[in-house]
Amino acid sequence: MLKAGVVQVMARGTDVAFVIDEEASFDVVSAELREYLANQNGLFSKGDITVNVGQRMLARDELAQVKSIIETHSGLKVTRFWCSPESLSSGDFRIEAKAAPTDTTSASPDSSKNLIHNEISLPLPRTKVGSLPSVESIIEDLKVRQNKNGARNRNRTEALFIKSTFRSGESVQHPGDVVVLADVNPGAEIQADGDIVVFGSLKGWAHAGASGDTKAVIIALELAATRIQIAKYPGIAPTSLPRKPKSSDAGTKIAYVRSRSIHVAAFAGRFARYNKGVPYDG
Amino acid sequence: MTGRTIVITSGKGGVGKTTATANIGTGLAMRGHKVVVVDTDIGLRNLDVIMGLENRIVYDLVNVIEGECKLNQAMIRDKHAYDLYLIPAAQTRDKNSIEPEQLREMCAELEKEFAYVLIDCPAGIEQGFKNATTAATEAIIVTTPEVSAIRDADRVIGLLESSGLHGPRLIINRISPALVKRGDMMDQQDVENLLSVEILGLVPADEHTVVAANRGVPVVHNTKSSAGAAFLRIAARVDGADIPLMDLEPRTSIISRIRDMVGKKGGAYSHA
Repeated sequence: MLKAGVVQVMARGTDVAFVIDEEASFDVVSAELREYLANQNGLFSKGDITVNVGQRMLARDELAQVKSIIETHSGLKVTRFWCSPESLSSGDFRIEAKAAPTDTTSASPDSSKNLIHNEISLPLPRTKVGSLPSVESIIEDLKVRQNKNGARNRNRTEALFIKSTFRSGESVQHPGDVVVLADVNPGAEIQADGDIVVFGSLKGWAHAGASGDTKAVIIALELAATRIQIAKYPGIAPTSLPRKPKSSDAGTKIAYVRSRSIHVAAFAGRFARYNKGVPYDG
Repeated sequence: MTGRTIVITSGKGGVGKTTATANIGTGLAMRGHKVVVVDTDIGLRNLDVIMGLENRIVYDLVNVIEGECKLNQAMIRDKHAYDLYLIPAAQTRDKNSIEPEQLREMCAELEKEFAYVLIDCPAGIEQGFKNATTAATEAIIVTTPEVSAIRDADRVIGLLESSGLHGPRLIINRISPALVKRGDMMDQQDVENLLSVEILGLVPADEHTVVAANRGVPVVHNTKSSAGAAFLRIAARVDGADIPLMDLEPRTSIISRIRDMVGKKGGAYSHA
Protein backbone atom coordinates (compact mmCIF):
# COMPACT_ATOMS: atom_id res chain seq x y z
CA MET A 1 0.00 0.00 0.00
CA LEU A 2 2.73 2.47 0.94
CA LYS A 3 5.75 1.80 -1.19
CA ALA A 4 9.05 2.37 0.56
CA GLY A 5 7.35 4.85 2.85
CA VAL A 6 7.91 7.86 0.62
CA VAL A 7 4.49 9.12 1.56
CA GLN A 8 3.27 8.38 5.06
CA VAL A 9 -0.19 9.05 6.39
CA MET A 10 -0.67 9.84 10.04
CA ALA A 11 -3.48 11.06 12.23
CA ARG A 12 -3.10 13.76 14.78
CA GLY A 13 -6.09 14.65 16.91
CA THR A 14 -8.83 14.72 14.35
CA ASP A 15 -6.45 15.80 11.59
CA VAL A 16 -4.86 13.53 9.05
CA ALA A 17 -1.40 14.45 7.86
CA PHE A 18 0.62 13.18 4.90
CA VAL A 19 4.28 13.03 5.74
CA ILE A 20 6.66 13.04 2.82
CA ASP A 21 10.02 11.32 3.01
CA GLU A 22 12.92 13.72 3.25
CA GLU A 23 15.36 11.92 0.97
CA ALA A 24 13.25 10.90 -2.02
CA SER A 25 13.39 13.12 -5.07
CA PHE A 26 10.47 15.39 -5.80
CA ASP A 27 9.43 13.47 -8.91
CA VAL A 28 9.30 10.22 -6.95
CA VAL A 29 7.26 11.88 -4.23
CA SER A 30 4.69 13.36 -6.57
CA ALA A 31 4.33 10.11 -8.51
CA GLU A 32 3.94 8.10 -5.29
CA LEU A 33 1.47 10.54 -3.84
CA ARG A 34 -0.64 10.53 -6.99
CA GLU A 35 -0.63 6.76 -7.17
CA TYR A 36 -1.39 6.38 -3.48
CA LEU A 37 -4.36 8.72 -3.60
CA ALA A 38 -5.67 7.10 -6.76
CA ASN A 39 -5.56 3.71 -5.05
CA GLN A 40 -7.33 5.07 -1.98
CA ASN A 41 -10.05 6.62 -4.10
CA GLY A 42 -12.89 7.69 -1.85
CA LEU A 43 -11.16 6.95 1.44
CA PHE A 44 -10.37 10.59 2.07
CA SER A 45 -13.61 12.11 0.91
CA LYS A 46 -13.72 15.30 2.91
CA GLY A 47 -11.61 17.20 5.39
CA ASP A 48 -8.56 19.32 5.91
CA ILE A 49 -5.00 18.16 5.62
CA THR A 50 -1.58 19.43 6.58
CA VAL A 51 1.55 18.54 4.68
CA ASN A 52 4.86 18.08 6.48
CA VAL A 53 7.66 18.58 4.01
CA GLY A 54 10.31 17.61 6.56
CA GLN A 55 13.68 19.16 5.89
CA ARG A 56 13.08 19.34 2.18
CA MET A 57 13.49 22.65 0.43
CA LEU A 58 10.63 22.96 -2.01
CA ALA A 59 10.14 25.70 -4.51
CA ARG A 60 6.90 27.59 -4.55
CA ASP A 61 5.55 25.82 -7.62
CA GLU A 62 6.51 22.45 -6.18
CA LEU A 63 4.41 23.12 -3.10
CA ALA A 64 1.56 24.21 -5.33
CA GLN A 65 1.99 20.97 -7.27
CA VAL A 66 1.78 18.87 -4.08
CA LYS A 67 -1.33 20.77 -3.10
CA SER A 68 -2.98 20.25 -6.46
CA ILE A 69 -2.12 16.53 -6.51
CA ILE A 70 -3.75 16.05 -3.12
CA GLU A 71 -6.78 18.17 -3.90
CA THR A 72 -7.50 16.72 -7.33
CA HIS A 73 -7.03 13.09 -6.30
CA SER A 74 -9.03 13.28 -3.09
CA GLY A 75 -11.69 15.44 -1.50
CA LEU A 76 -9.17 16.85 0.95
CA LYS A 77 -8.29 20.50 1.27
CA VAL A 78 -4.68 21.45 2.01
CA THR A 79 -4.75 24.02 4.79
CA ARG A 80 -1.13 24.24 5.77
CA PHE A 81 2.40 23.27 4.89
CA TRP A 82 4.81 22.85 7.72
CA CYS A 83 8.29 21.53 8.28
CA SER A 84 10.66 20.09 10.85
CA PRO A 85 12.12 22.75 13.14
CA GLU A 86 15.71 22.04 12.08
CA SER A 87 15.04 23.15 8.56
CA LEU A 88 13.92 26.54 9.82
CA SER A 89 17.54 27.47 10.32
CA SER A 90 17.96 27.54 6.58
CA GLY A 91 16.74 30.93 5.46
CA ASP A 92 15.78 29.84 1.96
CA PHE A 93 13.18 27.44 3.13
CA ARG A 94 11.50 29.93 5.37
CA ILE A 95 10.92 32.24 2.45
CA GLU A 96 9.61 29.50 0.24
CA ALA A 97 7.28 28.15 2.85
CA LYS A 98 5.83 31.56 3.61
CA ALA A 99 5.36 32.37 -0.02
CA ALA A 100 3.66 29.12 -0.84
CA PRO A 101 0.21 29.63 0.65
CA THR A 102 -0.36 32.96 -1.08
CA ASP A 103 -0.39 31.44 -4.51
CA THR A 104 -2.19 28.31 -3.49
CA THR A 105 -5.28 30.17 -2.32
CA SER A 106 -4.95 28.98 1.23
CA ALA A 107 -7.93 29.51 3.51
CA SER A 108 -5.92 31.53 5.99
CA PRO A 109 -5.42 35.15 5.00
CA ASP A 110 -2.39 35.54 7.25
CA SER A 111 0.36 33.69 5.44
CA SER A 112 2.72 33.64 8.40
CA LYS A 113 0.20 31.45 10.22
CA ASN A 114 0.78 28.77 7.66
CA LEU A 115 4.23 28.10 8.99
CA ILE A 116 3.89 26.41 12.32
CA HIS A 117 7.05 25.88 14.32
CA ASN A 118 7.51 23.12 16.79
CA GLU A 119 4.55 21.06 15.91
CA ILE A 120 5.29 17.39 16.21
CA SER A 121 8.25 16.93 13.96
CA LEU A 122 8.27 13.17 13.61
CA PRO A 123 5.53 10.81 12.56
CA LEU A 124 3.83 9.13 15.49
CA PRO A 125 2.96 5.81 13.98
CA ARG A 126 1.06 4.28 16.87
CA THR A 127 -1.29 7.17 17.38
CA LYS A 128 -4.81 6.06 16.64
CA VAL A 129 -7.78 8.31 16.33
CA GLY A 130 -11.11 6.69 16.93
CA SER A 131 -13.26 9.15 15.05
CA LEU A 132 -11.40 8.38 11.83
CA PRO A 133 -11.71 4.61 11.61
CA SER A 134 -10.72 4.51 7.96
CA VAL A 135 -7.27 5.79 8.83
CA GLU A 136 -6.64 3.12 11.42
CA SER A 137 -5.73 0.45 8.92
CA ILE A 138 -3.07 2.74 7.49
CA ILE A 139 -1.74 3.56 10.93
CA GLU A 140 -1.70 -0.13 11.77
CA ASP A 141 0.32 -0.74 8.65
CA LEU A 142 2.76 1.99 9.57
CA LYS A 143 3.11 0.51 13.03
CA VAL A 144 4.12 -2.85 11.64
CA ARG A 145 6.66 -1.24 9.39
CA GLN A 146 8.03 0.93 12.16
CA ASN A 147 8.61 -2.08 14.35
CA LYS A 148 10.56 -3.70 11.52
CA ASN A 149 12.62 -0.57 11.20
CA GLY A 150 13.84 -0.93 14.76
CA ALA A 151 11.10 0.85 16.69
CA ARG A 152 12.34 4.37 16.52
CA ASN A 153 9.49 5.63 18.68
CA ARG A 154 9.99 3.31 21.62
CA ASN A 155 11.34 6.10 23.76
CA ARG A 156 8.10 7.89 24.37
CA THR A 157 9.53 11.36 24.32
CA GLU A 158 7.08 13.10 22.07
CA ALA A 159 3.86 14.49 23.43
CA LEU A 160 0.61 14.53 21.55
CA PHE A 161 -1.13 17.89 21.77
CA ILE A 162 -4.88 18.02 21.46
CA LYS A 163 -5.86 21.61 20.95
CA SER A 164 -9.63 21.57 20.80
CA THR A 165 -12.33 20.15 23.05
CA PHE A 166 -12.06 16.36 23.07
CA ARG A 167 -15.64 15.25 22.72
CA SER A 168 -17.79 12.22 23.39
CA GLY A 169 -16.99 9.38 21.01
CA GLU A 170 -13.50 10.62 20.22
CA SER A 171 -10.64 8.44 21.34
CA VAL A 172 -6.88 8.52 21.07
CA GLN A 173 -4.11 6.05 21.87
CA HIS A 174 -0.63 7.44 22.03
CA PRO A 175 2.78 5.97 22.87
CA GLY A 176 3.93 9.09 24.75
CA ASP A 177 2.43 11.83 26.89
CA VAL A 178 -0.85 13.43 25.93
CA VAL A 179 -1.52 17.11 26.59
CA VAL A 180 -5.03 18.47 26.09
CA LEU A 181 -5.33 22.24 25.88
CA ALA A 182 -9.11 22.10 26.33
CA ASP A 183 -11.76 20.06 28.09
CA VAL A 184 -12.13 16.29 27.83
CA ASN A 185 -15.86 15.70 27.76
CA PRO A 186 -17.74 12.68 29.11
CA GLY A 187 -17.59 9.77 26.69
CA ALA A 188 -14.17 10.67 25.30
CA GLU A 189 -11.26 8.26 25.82
CA ILE A 190 -7.55 8.93 26.11
CA GLN A 191 -4.98 6.17 26.46
CA ALA A 192 -1.36 7.21 26.80
CA ASP A 193 1.76 5.25 27.61
CA GLY A 194 3.02 8.35 29.42
CA ASP A 195 1.31 11.08 31.43
CA ILE A 196 -1.97 12.76 30.62
CA VAL A 197 -2.18 16.48 31.29
CA VAL A 198 -5.46 18.31 30.79
CA PHE A 199 -5.52 22.09 30.82
CA GLY A 200 -9.23 22.08 31.38
CA SER A 201 -11.85 19.86 32.87
CA LEU A 202 -11.28 16.11 32.64
CA LYS A 203 -14.66 14.40 32.51
CA GLY A 204 -13.92 11.58 30.10
CA TRP A 205 -11.96 8.36 30.61
CA ALA A 206 -8.20 8.78 30.93
CA HIS A 207 -5.73 5.90 31.08
CA ALA A 208 -2.12 6.93 31.74
CA GLY A 209 0.82 4.53 31.66
CA ALA A 210 -1.22 2.25 29.44
CA SER A 211 1.75 0.02 28.69
CA GLY A 212 2.29 -0.66 32.38
CA ASP A 213 4.15 2.37 33.72
CA THR A 214 2.89 2.87 37.27
CA LYS A 215 4.91 6.08 37.57
CA ALA A 216 2.66 7.79 35.04
CA VAL A 217 0.26 10.42 36.36
CA ILE A 218 -2.90 12.22 35.32
CA ILE A 219 -3.01 15.95 35.90
CA ALA A 220 -6.08 18.11 35.30
CA LEU A 221 -7.15 21.64 36.18
CA GLU A 222 -10.45 20.09 37.13
CA LEU A 223 -10.53 16.35 37.75
CA ALA A 224 -14.18 15.53 37.28
CA ALA A 225 -13.84 12.08 35.71
CA THR A 226 -15.82 9.34 37.38
CA ARG A 227 -13.31 6.72 36.23
CA ILE A 228 -9.61 6.94 35.50
CA GLN A 229 -6.83 4.39 35.20
CA ILE A 230 -3.05 4.35 35.62
CA ALA A 231 -1.23 1.26 34.34
CA LYS A 232 -3.42 -1.64 35.51
CA TYR A 233 -4.94 0.18 38.46
CA PRO A 234 -8.44 1.54 37.96
CA GLY A 235 -9.70 4.46 40.01
CA ILE A 236 -13.30 5.39 40.64
CA ALA A 237 -14.26 8.81 41.96
CA PRO A 238 -15.59 8.73 45.52
CA THR A 239 -19.36 8.56 45.35
CA SER A 240 -19.76 10.10 48.78
CA LEU A 241 -18.68 13.48 47.44
CA PRO A 242 -21.34 16.09 48.13
CA ARG A 243 -23.29 17.27 45.09
CA LYS A 244 -22.20 20.85 45.64
CA PRO A 245 -18.40 21.01 45.32
CA LYS A 246 -16.44 22.31 48.29
CA SER A 247 -13.73 24.91 47.82
CA SER A 248 -11.09 22.27 48.63
CA ASP A 249 -12.27 20.27 45.60
CA ALA A 250 -11.37 23.09 43.25
CA GLY A 251 -7.93 23.53 41.77
CA THR A 252 -5.47 21.46 39.81
CA LYS A 253 -5.33 17.81 40.81
CA ILE A 254 -2.86 15.02 40.24
CA ALA A 255 -3.74 11.33 40.20
CA TYR A 256 -0.97 8.82 40.91
CA VAL A 257 -0.46 5.23 42.01
CA ARG A 258 0.32 4.66 45.65
CA SER A 259 0.40 1.20 47.23
CA ARG A 260 -1.40 -0.32 44.27
CA SER A 261 -4.32 2.05 44.18
CA ILE A 262 -5.07 5.42 42.68
CA HIS A 263 -4.80 8.50 44.87
CA VAL A 264 -5.67 12.07 44.03
CA ALA A 265 -4.09 15.12 45.60
CA ALA A 266 -3.80 18.84 44.97
CA PHE A 267 -1.14 19.38 42.35
CA ALA A 268 2.20 20.58 43.72
CA GLY A 269 4.54 19.66 40.87
CA ARG A 270 4.96 16.66 38.63
CA PHE A 271 7.74 15.11 40.76
CA ALA A 272 6.68 16.45 44.14
CA ARG A 273 6.22 14.00 47.01
CA TYR A 274 2.58 13.29 47.70
CA ASN A 275 1.52 11.85 51.04
CA LYS A 276 -2.03 12.84 51.74
CA GLY A 277 -4.12 11.90 48.76
CA VAL A 278 -7.73 10.92 48.53
CA PRO A 279 -8.03 7.27 47.50
CA TYR A 280 -9.99 6.88 44.29
CA ASP A 281 -11.72 3.64 45.18
CA GLY A 282 -15.38 4.43 44.67
CA MET B 1 -29.02 34.25 -5.36
CA THR B 2 -26.72 32.10 -3.31
CA GLY B 3 -28.60 30.82 -0.31
CA ARG B 4 -27.38 29.24 2.91
CA THR B 5 -27.98 25.57 3.60
CA ILE B 6 -28.33 24.94 7.31
CA VAL B 7 -28.80 21.52 8.90
CA ILE B 8 -30.73 21.25 12.15
CA THR B 9 -29.51 18.24 14.07
CA SER B 10 -29.18 16.86 17.60
CA GLY B 11 -28.11 13.24 17.79
CA LYS B 12 -30.77 12.41 20.33
CA GLY B 13 -34.36 12.06 19.23
CA GLY B 14 -37.30 14.01 20.57
CA VAL B 15 -35.44 17.17 21.57
CA GLY B 16 -37.24 19.37 19.04
CA LYS B 17 -35.32 19.30 15.74
CA THR B 18 -38.44 19.22 13.61
CA THR B 19 -40.21 21.85 15.72
CA ALA B 20 -37.13 24.06 15.50
CA THR B 21 -36.92 23.58 11.72
CA ALA B 22 -40.57 24.47 11.18
CA ASN B 23 -40.38 27.52 13.43
CA ILE B 24 -37.05 28.91 12.25
CA GLY B 25 -38.17 28.36 8.65
CA THR B 26 -41.43 30.18 9.30
CA GLY B 27 -39.62 32.89 11.24
CA LEU B 28 -37.18 33.51 8.39
CA ALA B 29 -40.06 33.60 5.89
CA MET B 30 -41.88 36.11 8.12
CA ARG B 31 -38.78 38.27 7.85
CA GLY B 32 -39.35 38.35 4.11
CA HIS B 33 -36.94 35.66 2.92
CA LYS B 34 -37.61 32.89 0.45
CA VAL B 35 -37.17 29.71 2.47
CA VAL B 36 -37.40 25.99 1.79
CA VAL B 37 -37.40 23.35 4.51
CA VAL B 38 -36.32 19.82 3.57
CA ASP B 39 -37.35 16.82 5.66
CA THR B 40 -34.59 14.20 5.42
CA ASP B 41 -36.10 11.86 8.00
CA ILE B 42 -37.04 9.34 5.32
CA GLY B 43 -39.39 6.69 6.65
CA LEU B 44 -40.37 8.71 9.71
CA ARG B 45 -41.52 11.98 8.24
CA ASN B 46 -42.92 14.56 10.65
CA LEU B 47 -42.18 18.02 9.37
CA ASP B 48 -45.24 18.02 7.10
CA VAL B 49 -47.47 17.20 10.07
CA ILE B 50 -45.97 19.93 12.26
CA MET B 51 -46.50 22.43 9.43
CA GLY B 52 -49.99 21.16 8.68
CA LEU B 53 -49.19 20.27 5.08
CA GLU B 54 -49.62 16.50 5.30
CA ASN B 55 -52.64 16.33 2.98
CA ARG B 56 -50.94 18.25 0.17
CA ILE B 57 -48.07 15.81 -0.43
CA VAL B 58 -47.93 14.40 -3.95
CA TYR B 59 -44.20 13.98 -4.60
CA ASP B 60 -41.43 13.68 -2.04
CA LEU B 61 -37.66 13.96 -1.59
CA VAL B 62 -36.92 10.46 -2.91
CA ASN B 63 -39.03 11.12 -6.02
CA VAL B 64 -36.91 14.20 -6.71
CA ILE B 65 -33.63 12.40 -6.13
CA GLU B 66 -34.67 9.48 -8.33
CA GLY B 67 -35.77 11.86 -11.07
CA GLU B 68 -39.43 10.89 -11.01
CA CYS B 69 -40.53 14.48 -10.70
CA LYS B 70 -39.14 17.99 -11.03
CA LEU B 71 -37.81 19.77 -7.98
CA ASN B 72 -40.60 22.35 -7.95
CA GLN B 73 -43.26 19.64 -8.22
CA ALA B 74 -42.24 18.31 -4.82
CA MET B 75 -42.25 21.74 -3.17
CA ILE B 76 -45.36 22.42 -1.13
CA ARG B 77 -46.17 26.05 -0.42
CA ASP B 78 -46.96 26.90 3.18
CA LYS B 79 -50.61 27.60 4.04
CA HIS B 80 -49.77 31.04 5.35
CA ALA B 81 -48.93 33.38 2.52
CA TYR B 82 -45.20 33.53 3.25
CA ASP B 83 -42.54 32.51 0.77
CA LEU B 84 -42.05 29.21 2.54
CA TYR B 85 -41.89 25.79 0.91
CA LEU B 86 -41.58 22.22 2.18
CA ILE B 87 -39.95 19.24 0.51
CA PRO B 88 -41.36 16.28 2.43
CA ALA B 89 -39.55 13.00 3.10
CA ALA B 90 -40.77 9.72 1.65
CA GLN B 91 -42.63 7.63 4.19
CA THR B 92 -42.41 4.27 2.45
CA ARG B 93 -38.63 4.24 1.90
CA ASP B 94 -35.59 4.31 4.18
CA LYS B 95 -32.50 6.43 4.75
CA ASN B 96 -30.41 4.39 2.33
CA SER B 97 -32.61 5.45 -0.59
CA ILE B 98 -30.50 8.56 -1.10
CA GLU B 99 -26.78 9.34 -1.12
CA PRO B 100 -25.20 12.36 0.60
CA GLU B 101 -23.90 13.66 -2.75
CA GLN B 102 -27.35 13.53 -4.32
CA LEU B 103 -28.80 15.62 -1.49
CA ARG B 104 -25.89 18.05 -1.75
CA GLU B 105 -26.61 18.50 -5.46
CA MET B 106 -30.27 19.11 -4.76
CA CYS B 107 -29.46 21.70 -2.10
CA ALA B 108 -27.01 23.43 -4.44
CA GLU B 109 -29.89 23.71 -6.90
CA LEU B 110 -32.19 25.10 -4.18
CA GLU B 111 -29.56 27.61 -3.05
CA LYS B 112 -29.84 29.31 -6.42
CA GLU B 113 -33.48 30.14 -5.81
CA PHE B 114 -33.85 30.34 -2.04
CA ALA B 115 -32.18 32.50 0.60
CA TYR B 116 -32.37 29.71 3.18
CA VAL B 117 -32.43 25.95 2.77
CA LEU B 118 -33.14 24.32 6.15
CA ILE B 119 -32.54 20.58 6.47
CA ASP B 120 -34.39 18.69 9.18
CA CYS B 121 -31.96 15.93 10.18
CA PRO B 122 -33.12 12.56 11.50
CA ALA B 123 -32.05 11.41 14.98
CA GLY B 124 -29.00 9.19 15.23
CA ILE B 125 -25.59 9.38 13.60
CA GLU B 126 -26.04 6.86 10.80
CA GLN B 127 -26.80 7.20 7.09
CA GLY B 128 -29.58 9.77 7.55
CA PHE B 129 -27.27 11.99 9.60
CA LYS B 130 -24.54 11.68 6.98
CA ASN B 131 -26.99 12.58 4.21
CA ALA B 132 -28.23 15.66 6.01
CA THR B 133 -24.90 17.00 7.27
CA THR B 134 -23.00 16.45 4.02
CA ALA B 135 -25.54 18.56 2.19
CA ALA B 136 -25.23 21.52 4.58
CA THR B 137 -22.64 24.24 5.00
CA GLU B 138 -23.81 25.39 8.44
CA ALA B 139 -25.22 23.53 11.40
CA ILE B 140 -27.58 24.25 14.26
CA ILE B 141 -27.60 21.77 17.14
CA VAL B 142 -30.75 21.40 19.20
CA THR B 143 -30.48 20.07 22.73
CA THR B 144 -32.46 20.07 25.93
CA PRO B 145 -30.93 20.70 29.35
CA GLU B 146 -30.66 16.98 30.12
CA VAL B 147 -27.41 15.05 30.45
CA SER B 148 -28.35 12.47 27.84
CA ALA B 149 -29.27 15.07 25.21
CA ILE B 150 -26.12 17.04 25.95
CA ARG B 151 -23.92 13.94 25.72
CA ASP B 152 -25.36 13.24 22.27
CA ALA B 153 -24.99 16.87 21.22
CA ASP B 154 -21.33 16.70 22.25
CA ARG B 155 -20.83 13.62 20.08
CA VAL B 156 -22.58 15.27 17.14
CA ILE B 157 -20.47 18.43 17.44
CA GLY B 158 -17.36 16.24 17.34
CA LEU B 159 -18.62 14.42 14.24
CA LEU B 160 -19.54 17.66 12.49
CA GLU B 161 -16.15 19.17 13.19
CA SER B 162 -14.29 16.10 11.96
CA SER B 163 -16.32 16.24 8.74
CA GLY B 164 -15.39 19.88 8.24
CA LEU B 165 -18.62 21.56 9.36
CA HIS B 166 -17.12 24.03 11.80
CA GLY B 167 -18.71 26.42 14.27
CA PRO B 168 -22.10 24.82 14.87
CA ARG B 169 -24.46 26.91 16.99
CA LEU B 170 -26.63 25.64 19.78
CA ILE B 171 -30.31 25.97 20.65
CA ILE B 172 -31.23 24.89 24.16
CA ASN B 173 -34.83 23.84 23.94
CA ARG B 174 -37.47 23.20 26.56
CA ILE B 175 -35.81 25.09 29.41
CA SER B 176 -37.96 25.21 32.50
CA PRO B 177 -37.07 28.50 34.21
CA ALA B 178 -38.59 27.42 37.50
CA LEU B 179 -36.46 24.25 37.64
CA VAL B 180 -33.34 26.20 36.70
CA LYS B 181 -34.04 28.70 39.47
CA ARG B 182 -34.39 25.86 41.98
CA GLY B 183 -31.07 24.43 40.79
CA ASP B 184 -32.70 21.24 39.53
CA MET B 185 -31.95 21.86 35.86
CA MET B 186 -28.75 22.79 34.08
CA ASP B 187 -28.69 26.43 33.12
CA GLN B 188 -27.35 28.03 29.97
CA GLN B 189 -23.91 28.55 31.49
CA ASP B 190 -23.53 24.87 32.45
CA VAL B 191 -24.41 23.76 28.94
CA GLU B 192 -22.18 26.37 27.34
CA ASN B 193 -19.23 25.34 29.53
CA LEU B 194 -19.60 21.69 28.65
CA LEU B 195 -20.16 21.98 24.91
CA SER B 196 -18.08 25.13 24.32
CA VAL B 197 -20.04 26.27 21.29
CA GLU B 198 -21.88 29.50 20.58
CA ILE B 199 -25.47 29.63 21.83
CA LEU B 200 -27.96 30.64 19.19
CA GLY B 201 -30.99 30.73 21.40
CA LEU B 202 -32.87 29.57 24.48
CA VAL B 203 -36.39 28.24 24.15
CA PRO B 204 -38.55 27.89 27.25
CA ALA B 205 -40.79 24.89 27.79
CA ASP B 206 -44.21 26.08 26.67
CA GLU B 207 -47.50 24.22 26.34
CA HIS B 208 -48.31 26.31 23.28
CA THR B 209 -45.59 24.44 21.38
CA VAL B 210 -47.38 21.13 21.87
CA VAL B 211 -50.77 22.58 20.96
CA ALA B 212 -49.30 24.26 17.88
CA ALA B 213 -47.69 21.01 16.73
CA ASN B 214 -50.97 19.15 17.09
CA ARG B 215 -52.81 21.81 15.13
CA GLY B 216 -50.17 21.95 12.41
CA VAL B 217 -49.47 25.65 12.88
CA PRO B 218 -45.91 26.47 13.97
CA VAL B 219 -45.83 28.18 17.35
CA VAL B 220 -44.20 31.36 15.95
CA HIS B 221 -47.65 32.28 14.65
CA ASN B 222 -48.90 32.43 18.24
CA THR B 223 -48.05 35.91 19.53
CA LYS B 224 -48.87 34.90 23.11
CA SER B 225 -46.35 32.08 23.23
CA SER B 226 -42.98 32.58 24.92
CA ALA B 227 -41.50 29.72 22.84
CA GLY B 228 -42.82 31.33 19.67
CA ALA B 229 -41.16 34.62 20.61
CA ALA B 230 -37.92 32.74 21.34
CA PHE B 231 -38.00 31.07 17.91
CA LEU B 232 -38.62 34.42 16.23
CA ARG B 233 -35.54 35.82 17.94
CA ILE B 234 -33.55 32.75 16.86
CA ALA B 235 -34.68 33.24 13.26
CA ALA B 236 -33.55 36.87 13.49
CA ARG B 237 -30.13 35.78 14.79
CA VAL B 238 -29.79 33.22 11.99
CA ASP B 239 -30.57 36.12 9.68
CA GLY B 240 -27.64 38.05 11.16
CA ALA B 241 -29.51 40.35 13.56
CA ASP B 242 -27.66 41.13 16.78
CA ILE B 243 -30.17 40.36 19.50
CA PRO B 244 -28.97 39.52 23.02
CA LEU B 245 -30.11 36.27 24.61
CA MET B 246 -33.15 36.71 26.84
CA ASP B 247 -33.08 35.80 30.49
CA LEU B 248 -35.79 33.28 31.10
CA GLU B 249 -37.69 34.22 34.23
CA PRO B 250 -40.08 31.81 35.88
CA ARG B 251 -43.61 32.85 35.09
CA THR B 252 -45.60 33.21 38.27
CA SER B 253 -49.31 33.55 38.69
CA ILE B 254 -50.81 36.85 39.74
CA ILE B 255 -51.99 35.33 42.99
CA SER B 256 -48.53 34.12 43.98
CA ARG B 257 -47.06 37.48 43.02
CA ILE B 258 -49.57 39.26 45.24
CA ARG B 259 -48.81 36.77 47.98
CA ASP B 260 -45.09 37.53 47.57
CA MET B 261 -45.76 41.24 47.85
CA VAL B 262 -47.91 40.81 50.91
CA GLY B 263 -45.32 38.46 52.39
CA LYS B 264 -42.52 40.95 51.89
CA LYS B 265 -44.48 43.56 53.78
CA GLY B 266 -44.77 41.16 56.66
CA GLY B 267 -48.52 40.89 56.27
CA ALA B 268 -51.00 38.48 57.72
CA TYR B 269 -50.03 35.60 55.36
CA SER B 270 -46.37 35.56 56.22
CA HIS B 271 -46.71 32.98 58.97
CA ALA B 272 -49.60 31.09 57.43
